[in-house]
Amino acid sequence: MDRDLLRQCLTYHGESFFNKLKCEQTENPDFQAVVSDLCKVSCESKSDGQDSPLVEQFIARKADILFCPTWKTTNHQEEEHEEPYAIMPPMELFMEVSYEERRTMLYRDLERGDIVAGRINNIRDYGFFLTLLCTAGGLKRDIEDLELSALCHIREIPSTGSHDDPLSYFQIGDFIRAAVKDIDRYQEKITVSVLQASLSPNLEHIKLGVVPREELPIHYSRSVLAAADSRKTYECILKSCHGYHNPSVVAYLLGKVGVSDTHPPSMMRGLQSKLFQEEDFASALRKKQSASWALKCVRAGVGHFKHGHHVEAMNEYNKALDIDTNNVEALVARGALYANKGSIMKAITDFELALKSCPDHRNAKKYLCQTLVERGKQLEEHEKLVTAEGLYRRALSLDDSNPEAQEALHKITDTIQKSIRLREEALAKEQEKATTSQTSAEKLRKILKEEKRMKKKRKRSTSSSSNTSSRNSSSSRRSERGSKRHRRISSVESRSEEGKSEKDRKVKEEDEVEWYPAPPNTSATFLTQKGGPDFGESDEVEVMVKDADDRRIAQLYSLSAASEDEESDSSRRQRKGRDREESRKRGRNPESEEMGSTSRDKGMEDNRKDRRNSDSKRSSLGENRKRKVSCSSAESEYSRTSTLKSEYLGNSGPASKQVERGMRHDSSKRNSFDEARRALDNRKGKAVDGSSRSDAGNGKTSEGAGNHNKPSSLTSVPEGRAQKDLPSNLLDIFNQIAQFKKEKGVGPK
Amino acid sequence: MEGPFLRSPATQDGLAARRVSSGETESDRNVKTQFRVCRFMMETGVKLGMRSVPVATACVLYHRFFERVSAHAYEPYLVAMSCVYLAGKVEEQHTRTRDIINVSHRYFNSDSAPLDCDKEFWDLRDSVVQCELLILRQLNFQVSFEHPHKYLLHYLLSVKSLVNRHAWSRTPVAETSWALLRDCYHGAMCIRHLPQHIAIATLHLALNSYGVELPVGEKEWWQVLCMDVTKAHIDAVVSDLLQLYDMEAKCI
Repeated sequence: MDRDLLRQCLTYHGESFFNKLKCEQTENPDFQAVVSDLCKVSCESKSDGQDSPLVEQFIARKADILFCPTWKTTNHQEEEHEEPYAIMPPMELFMEVSYEERRTMLYRDLERGDIVAGRINNIRDYGFFLTLLCTAGGLKRDIEDLELSALCHIREIPSTGSHDDPLSYFQIGDFIRAAVKDIDRYQEKITVSVLQASLSPNLEHIKLGVVPREELPIHYSRSVLAAADSRKTYECILKSCHGYHNPSVVAYLLGKVGVSDTHPPSMMRGLQSKLFQEEDFASALRKKQSASWALKCVRAGVGHFKHGHHVEAMNEYNKALDIDTNNVEALVARGALYANKGSIMKAITDFELALKSCPDHRNAKKYLCQTLVERGKQLEEHEKLVTAEGLYRRALSLDDSNPEAQEALHKITDTIQKSIRLREEALAKEQEKATTSQTSAEKLRKILKEEKRMKKKRKRSTSSSSNTSSRNSSSSRRSERGSKRHRRISSVESRSEEGKSEKDRKVKEEDEVEWYPAPPNTSATFLTQKGGPDFGESDEVEVMVKDADDRRIAQLYSLSAASEDEESDSSRRQRKGRDREESRKRGRNPESEEMGSTSRDKGMEDNRKDRRNSDSKRSSLGENRKRKVSCSSAESEYSRTSTLKSEYLGNSGPASKQVERGMRHDSSKRNSFDEARRALDNRKGKAVDGSSRSDAGNGKTSEGAGNHNKPSSLTSVPEGRAQKDLPSNLLDIFNQIAQFKKEKGVGPK
Repeated sequence: MEGPFLRSPATQDGLAARRVSSGETESDRNVKTQFRVCRFMMETGVKLGMRSVPVATACVLYHRFFERVSAHAYEPYLVAMSCVYLAGKVEEQHTRTRDIINVSHRYFNSDSAPLDCDKEFWDLRDSVVQCELLILRQLNFQVSFEHPHKYLLHYLLSVKSLVNRHAWSRTPVAETSWALLRDCYHGAMCIRHLPQHIAIATLHLALNSYGVELPVGEKEWWQVLCMDVTKAHIDAVVSDLLQLYDMEAKCI
């Protein structure tokens, strides 16, 4: 209990009250603690017996609530600019408190940092004197007729920067807002300051200095009006204030005064806040009720489901979720229904949502585990091995005992490890073959120069064609090499166009929806080797050009990271790459725009097919095993190298770019590429068909690719491939040039 | 009198027993019932998150309704629920009937599960809505009232400026006077006095309880706040209020 407060109360009420208090509060331990202090208080009643005994009795009885230390009002001191409530003139005006009393009150209550407003009545060389009109912050008093004078010393006036006399800015009769600096209560002197620093912290935002008459506080102007007209009563002024009629004035003032309306105080014993329990409140009850109503619907739905009425069951579940969103049972039941129908993704979403609110739900975990395994199997068929692995691991983490999940996980880890081993072997093989040949380098440099010259020519040439034919025709204007490349590519593209791109796109879309990150303990160990692949396109070019070794490593784990994210990334990158190239080429060769993305896509396809063909011809390794690893990285590799290539050569011809890609693909790197790329997603099935098609129809390219593979066909090729110290794109160019020259009958070099 | 929610037979027997033993008059019983029902309304208001003014409106609606009709004609708790519902609409703090029913059901059957969406629930809902219309008609559709709350808050600010700021922050006059004002609504006194008078009386009682001394001029502070209030008025309000506190001990 608040000791000081009790003491004040006792002093006011007197002895009889103290007796009553003791009588009523004997059982209160808090009171016993303070009663000894209170005895010492002199008990002359100040209230002059005005108190009725009933009131004293009431106070005595309710003393434990009244004097409870937690009941403290908070202080709010803000200057309001709008009027959210009625700002009234000071009461002492209406009460007609005496001059002496008001003076005493002011000196008692005025503090440093309070704001006063006054009029200058005298300016001396050491400062100016104010006649105080009113208080303007911190206090609200009627002091005008007290005729108090305050001094503002010259050092309390901010200097102006220029060497004027600061007092020259002030004139007699100006209204000034100043902060109280010092109050001498005995000599009754007040000194003020116009420096902002002298304000108390909660009033810091108020500007001091000269103010126009309108900016004097509202309560002052109202008090002037009230004093002039004695008919204006408090209530009259109150009702005439605009702020009084503010509909939310009660809420605002409650906040200002510091009382809570949500846990309101009461003097009734039965209404004390601590007696109310949270679960009796409306919001808690509503939640419980919604959950139970939803549960009823779910039960009905499950009944329907058991009888095979899936539509009704779904309706019931949706109704349940309308009543209570995120109801765990409803979500689990609906998920099971989705899984049954085959909408695996929707089922997974529902289960995940259910597990979010209730992570230990047994059925949810069980069903989710089964659904994840099924989804993993689907992905396996689509060659998304690492994602599938992630799913299996997640499934096992949910339900350790599931045999299917365990078996699937083992299988997939095996296959991934096998593919890693294969890749490593291939890489080792490639490294063995690395030998340099000086002559090849020279030839390469020559060819590069020629290419550069050709590109410059192409820049100047313009074309308005918009299809492959025009491309062909325009390309024929170019170097023989270029045109041949164009024609070959375009024919291949047209053939490959058919089934591929749609399926591609479809798969890409689906891939973008679902992504599980590779699990941290994945068996695809290469993933963890170098902190993950870097697919930043802008940096690709520079990075790649510099470091062939890095590129090889990049290949390795670009192959590995077989998430659909990358696939979609790579497809996006392809598009991005295309866009970039397009914009670049736009200045040089408008024709490139007309190439369109599809053709490039087809080009990619084509190249992939090429590789596949060459691989099947070349490698003795079973194709099946290679399939396991997704070739999303392969695509990314494409885009990277292709952009690289164009960057490096300043290439503007799309066809030549594609050719270069093809060349690049046949380069030394291809060995490591190929194995991985052989492992493709569903495109692979078509790819095989396509490859057979392209085999038939496009003997040249595949042959050329095959030629590259067959060491016998091109002497320079293996050498070129073997050149490690040359940038690989040069090797690419060299190889492809050699190939096409040969095909044209020109022969290598 | 059957309640809207099944009250356990024990309570009813208990009530009957007390009635017999204390030899109460009909009017006493009515007053007690009114007190209990108002207590019900105030608790429900807090649990529904209603502010003080809508709760006050609900109580006033209730008192005014039973001024006009005989106490036996209608089930008081049902009327109370409808008053809460109607007051929410009048004071722009709408509450749903579903919440009112949930809270009330739990008030009478503590720790029970919430009602199912069945016939009983819909019947209750219909009753509340129909009773609301009945109240409106009984009051001639005059359902907006002037409450002491606005006055009290402005008076608090004015009185605050009269005293030293530190003394004021030590003394929870605002909370106490607000609590006293809210408690006024347990009885019909809230409609028997002017809102300004009630506000001044509660403030006076709060200041009195803590022994706060205000400066005196030609007029007393309470005379200034409302021109026609006299000490007698204040005393009357205070004594009515104190009786309510006494009643709490008897009724609950």
